Amino acid sequence: MQVVTTDVAVIGGGAAGCYAALNLNKLGIKPLIICKGLVGKSGASLFAGNLVISGRALGNSEEHARNTAEFLIKYHNQFLIDQRWAQRCGQWVEKVYYPELEEAGLYFRRDDSGEVVTSPGKIRSIAANVQGNSGVPFMDLRRKQVIKAGIARMEETVATSLLHNADGSVGGVFCLNYITGEYRAVIARAVILATGYSDRLHTRSTGTREMSADGIALAWRAGATLLNMEMQWWHTNDMAHPPSWQRMQIYPNPMLGSEKSARMLNSAGEEFFNQQKDDPLAFGPYTVQLKALVKQVRAGKARYEGGYYAGFDNCDPAEVETYTTYGKTFRQLGLPFPAYMAETAVSSHYRQGGIDVDTTTMRSSIPGLYAAGGVGGHSNGLIGLATYDGQVVAEGVGREIATLKAASVPQPQIEAECRRLDRLRSSSGDGPAPGRLKEDLRAVMWEKVGVEKNASDLRSALEDIERIRADLLPGMKIRNTGKSVNYEWLDAIDVINMIDVCELVIHSSLERKESRGPFIRRDFPLTDNENWLAANVLKKSGNGLRFERRPYDLPLFAPGFSSRDNLEVAW
Amino acid sequence: MTSISPADPSVPVLSPVDGRWSGQAEHDSLAARNCRLTPGEWLTVKVRRSEVPAGGDVYQAFQVPYQKWMRVLDALNWIAENAAADLAFRWFCGSKMCGTCAVRMNGREVLACWEAVEPNMVIEPLRNLPVIRDLVVDRSRYEDKVASLEPWIERREPYGEFPEPLTHKQMKDASKALDCISCMCCYSACPVIGLGNLTDFAGPAPLVQLGQTALDPRNDPEKVRRSLALTGIFDCVSCYKCEEVCPAHIPIVSRVIEPLKAKAAQLVPEMARHSFALRGIVARRGRVDPGELILRVQGLRALGNLRRILRLFARGKINPIKTILGIKTGAAEAAMRLLGNRAGRP
Repeated sequence: MQVVTTDVAVIGGGAAGCYAALNLNKLGIKPLIICKGLVGKSGASLFAGNLVISGRALGNSEEHARNTAEFLIKYHNQFLIDQRWAQRCGQWVEKVYYPELEEAGLYFRRDDSGEVVTSPGKIRSIAANVQGNSGVPFMDLRRKQVIKAGIARMEETVATSLLHNADGSVGGVFCLNYITGEYRAVIARAVILATGYSDRLHTRSTGTREMSADGIALAWRAGATLLNMEMQWWHTNDMAHPPSWQRMQIYPNPMLGSEKSARMLNSAGEEFFNQQKDDPLAFGPYTVQLKALVKQVRAGKARYEGGYYAGFDNCDPAEVETYTTYGKTFRQLGLPFPAYMAETAVSSHYRQGGIDVDTTTMRSSIPGLYAAGGVGGHSNGLIGLATYDGQVVAEGVGREIATLKAASVPQPQIEAECRRLDRLRSSSGDGPAPGRLKEDLRAVMWEKVGVEKNASDLRSALEDIERIRADLLPGMKIRNTGKSVNYEWLDAIDVINMIDVCELVIHSSLERKESRGPFIRRDFPLTDNENWLAANVLKKSGNGLRFERRPYDLPLFAPGFSSRDNLEVAW
Repeated sequence: MTSISPADPSVPVLSPVDGRWSGQAEHDSLAARNCRLTPGEWLTVKVRRSEVPAGGDVYQAFQVPYQKWMRVLDALNWIAENAAADLAFRWFCGSKMCGTCAVRMNGREVLACWEAVEPNMVIEPLRNLPVIRDLVVDRSRYEDKVASLEPWIERREPYGEFPEPLTHKQMKDASKALDCISCMCCYSACPVIGLGNLTDFAGPAPLVQLGQTALDPRNDPEKVRRSLALTGIFDCVSCYKCEEVCPAHIPIVSRVIEPLKAKAAQLVPEMARHSFALRGIVARRGRVDPGELILRVQGLRALGNLRRILRLFARGKINPIKTILGIKTGAAEAAMRLLGNRAGRP
């Protein structure tokens, strides 16, 4: 067991984690990136399809700039967002983000005459090299910037617990490199959680394999305050087949260089969504699209598991394929493109909620513990926002690091964690494999905590999960007890985090007694701005939890009604 | 649940498909490969394991039920969930973006999340990288090489403002290289990398990574020169194996390695000595004269390997008389016309 000392441990190697590490490094503060996957090759950032143009960049009009802000606050976050933070973020994206990326070498797609290619419409976006694949060169660039800066990385290494000082502040991380099977204790003056937006807690989920809500679970166990854990976003048009393509999206977004976009048909072949007609801002319409689907499901013309279709049969192939990767799915299956409409299904996508942070420093409620990017509870979606957090957290830590103690090695905590992990690796009950338990848990979430929720299903899900925790978890069986590349062992570590976080999601879902955007309660169908234009704040108390409600300020945009049927609300 | 074995006669035995040729015959189109099985039919999947039980086979066989449009990754996931929870294979995204799930299927490199299953499959780890366990390989040899090439932009002029002047025409080759997901399919398929330490060839994947910035007009040529000098790029034999297996359909040889070779010949001419010599000989003689090639490339050093020279002579590979007399073929005139004014360049 090796003890590593650094100034700041950054958990996560996506847009937020990499940018935090790069900025800390610039400030002369030594970061260490701990990444459960591979830096720049796992996590949600990889999936960025395009980059939204903020403010007045690239010839955006005043109206475009306003639309982008409105889209973020209303359609993306249903007003559950710190609007001042959003404003700062928009200004930063315009002034700093694009130039920084381009200077470092990111290629924003041009045409042959040298114009940056944009999608037309009320909100415009650009692509890194090609639309649908922008996250790949974007994150590859970050990976190389991290290498160039000489920033230390621990990859395929899972953070299994936070290490604490005697006063409860966070002073390090315990981790396992699951390729070598070696333990590491990282002692740091501050820990930044940058574990991302998605958690793979449902049978069908976007995001990458390693996601299991680790960041939320670690923060919760450390005593950090969480908020809006019920606010789950959904993709409504991922491929229904094959199973591993559950995040292969038939993108509904506006296409670069075209006035058209994909459309969706119900089981009767009737068009029920075409964002150019059906979305007020005609952009990234995931929640608007979800509401359209819910109506189809209720009319018996679609199911959340499939039975409805999406594709580009309204477009010319060249229109789709000049600047996007959207045709690749159809081509790889040998299907006629663009004539073929593929069967699609819903996948759980980003969580809007997460760790409660001070948005000027990204500090959590626990000293020494910070959060950046999607794992925070202050916003949802977009790689630019996650990147901005990377800058803010680096500056926040930079300002506060002098006040943070260099931790002493907490030997008893380290020994206890070694014992816990050793025990998990030798799980020899007569029950299911840990991977099976993960699937069981995801099935409960899919069936009872899916798109449409109600109190009785949610309570029943809590009972099911309690059964998994009490009856199945102690009897887990691991076939291979070796240390090297033992994914069963990793699954056993993951499933405990997932159980904890699923429960928090369900409790939070029970608490929010309204419907809002993608959060749909059959027993509370109204969007209730009078009572619930508020953060659903979750605090640890003793061995239990309690909720508080914290209203949002509305300095820039306001909903303009007090209560209305959520499915009739445009956002 | 350990063994799923539908060993009854109702399970059809499907003819094996040689992965090296899949997709090339007319009846074997992508459309055909995605609909030749019906859901519930059994696939036979043999997976190379790294820990072999006593008396067992290094290839462990599994029967896997087909699901609609099933990918190789789905078959591996099914095996892990139902038959061998301890099977080690790497993947993250499941949608051809992270590039970590590449394996060899029936002798050909494929991205597991992207490739259709075959009725009979043998799944093995990639070649040319050390196997850690089962299908999981150690990528560090590649990562270290890429890092040593410093594949990033260094500017001669300070960056102006966004958006800087740049056209897609200027970026057309770099743009192809930017589709790379560093999945290592090409690295595994490359026969020159397969020679191990006999050459100092960086390999196709590191060259594509380098091409992303070395073929970018914004990069400082001096920086590109330093990087190219470390690539051993002229050891590439242009066999196109890398292009054949690339799941991102990058024209690796024609749009990345060849343009990089041209840059190397210009920026680091000593690397291209063999190519210059070969081209010059063909231009003058209308044919390859191996004797002259050896002399021009190795000079007097060739005499240090006299036994080899004699062996080549005995086999008729070299003919000193023809070499010394400068014998030309009838094609010389045409060769000079085609290559003459560029004979100094590869």
